[in-house]
Amino acid sequence: MTLSDSTSAAIQKLVATYPEPRTALLPALKLAQADAGYLSREAIAEAADLVGVPHSAALELAEFYTMLHTEPRPPIRVVVCAQLPCALRGADDLIRELRAAVTSASVEIERTSECFGACHRAPMARRGEEYRENLVGDERARFISELRSV
Amino acid sequence: MSVALDYQRVLLPHPGRTEPLSLDEHKAEDGYAAWQKALTRMTPDQVIEEVKASGLRGRGGAGFPTGTKWSFIPKTGGAKYVAVNADESEPGTFKDRELMEVEPHRVLEGVALCSYAIGAETAFIYIRGEYVCAADRLEAAIAEAEAAGLLGQACLGTSVNVRILVFRGAGAYICGEETALLESLEGRRPMPRSRPPFPAVEGLYRRPTVINNVETLANVPSIIDRGSGWYSSIGVPPRNTGPKIFCLSGRVNRPGNYELPLGAVTIRELIDDYGGGVIDGKAVKGVLTAGVSAPILSPDKLDTKLDYDSVQAAGSMLGSASLIVLDEDTCIVRAAALMEEFFRHESCGKCTPCREGTSWLHKVLSRIEQGHGAPADLELLLSLSGEISGKVLCALGDFATSPVVATVKQFRDEYEKHIAEQRCPFEPW
Repeated sequence: MTLSDSTSAAIQKLVATYPEPRTALLPALKLAQADAGYLSREAIAEAADLVGVPHSAALELAEFYTMLHTEPRPPIRVVVCAQLPCALRGADDLIRELRAAVTSASVEIERTSECFGACHRAPMARRGEEYRENLVGDERARFISELRSV
Repeated sequence: MSVALDYQRVLLPHPGRTEPLSLDEHKAEDGYAAWQKALTRMTPDQVIEEVKASGLRGRGGAGFPTGTKWSFIPKTGGAKYVAVNADESEPGTFKDRELMEVEPHRVLEGVALCSYAIGAETAFIYIRGEYVCAADRLEAAIAEAEAAGLLGQACLGTSVNVRILVFRGAGAYICGEETALLESLEGRRPMPRSRPPFPAVEGLYRRPTVINNVETLANVPSIIDRGSGWYSSIGVPPRNTGPKIFCLSGRVNRPGNYELPLGAVTIRELIDDYGGGVIDGKAVKGVLTAGVSAPILSPDKLDTKLDYDSVQAAGSMLGSASLIVLDEDTCIVRAAALMEEFFRHESCGKCTPCREGTSWLHKVLSRIEQGHGAPADLELLLSLSGEISGKVLCALGDFATSPVVATVKQFRDEYEKHIAEQRCPFEPW
């Protein structure tokens, strides 16, 4: 078994939560991903079995959504929004500065064209699930120093 | 300062607040009074009629009359569902996030009222996966309301059951398209369905379903509590009633959410009086009013009133009322390339014109911006856009052509300069 006992139990609970079990598939994949940081073929298959759908049905979700990953990733992911509202407020400078200052292999700095709904606090980035907003001046310096100390 | 100095905010009455209102705080502001009123003194049909009479139009972008949408649900028995569209992903849009983070009970009360009106016992709030804070706060508020007997089984001691479930997405703009949202909820790849049948007849699990935006439903408690007459006196009746949250971003001094009556201010007033003007006092080059999904408006349209009909008459759409301000230093070609990059990334791939077309549009825009464009590229952009628009299953394809067609038509000289000089004439930003 690839999935932990607690994840398997949580998925089984989800299946019973919804009017139709297959609704649990996406949340099940997110739980499975939380176990190892990414979705291996084995984890996808086990999640599919627990929900009661073909493995291919789970795989096609895993490969579609941007928050699901089928390959291992560095432990710390920083995703910087570079869509128009953030670009107009210096997102490119932020990306350049982060990439120059943070060189640890355990930190991934990713540029995205997705919008995260923080345009009024641009430029911004997501560190894991956490929003880091208004990344200018001292706030930016603190963020960079935090990432450099990883 | 224009107009709305004496306007009493309805949806976000605590500007600047970032912490959620507790159940007690919400109740102290007449929270759940509408829910109590509906359950004890109104039939479901009366709730629908009140919402119809208010003139409330959907705040997600399309502006469809909300009460009319609810009335499409068949009165027959069997399961019905409410699906709340909280997949707020349009660039420049952050109003639903603030509503859910700060006013979770107002949202839940609206969801409960909609459920009661159409006879649904289960409602899903489909929230984008990145909005972790908002989702956590909604779940905490649901637990509070269930513990107080307001939601769940036998709401307020009646025979009405309303179970609200928060469903977290995983990163896909297309899930904001209502039938793709339903596919996602059903555990399938979120690709739009062909219609008919429409969701009111065959929606979630092939059962009748209402899909409403968060802000739309956040309006409903006040309509039921204070009456449609009061509500429709806000804004510009009969077609543009009620409050609206305007998301202001881009090159302005004070970006943020501003709640105002529909049609109360012009684009210029929103930018200058509320947004503190353009950074460094620069001139406006253009304003997007519906995120990146509708044509850009040029500076001669700045005196357009911010309501559905006025913005449409000016040549664009109010949509989600997400205003992105571009100043005179903004390279319009780069702006268009960024917008198209978004659509290329977010196209679900189901319809060939959108899947292939957005990729080609982005490629051509990028080469022009980088100084490698050819004179024929402008006609190529327009012709490619024509091959997408109206030839796909959902609105994303049409949205994707807006940044291109509108900027090529309105700023053709800027495109031509890039091509003639084989470089971008603007400073990088």
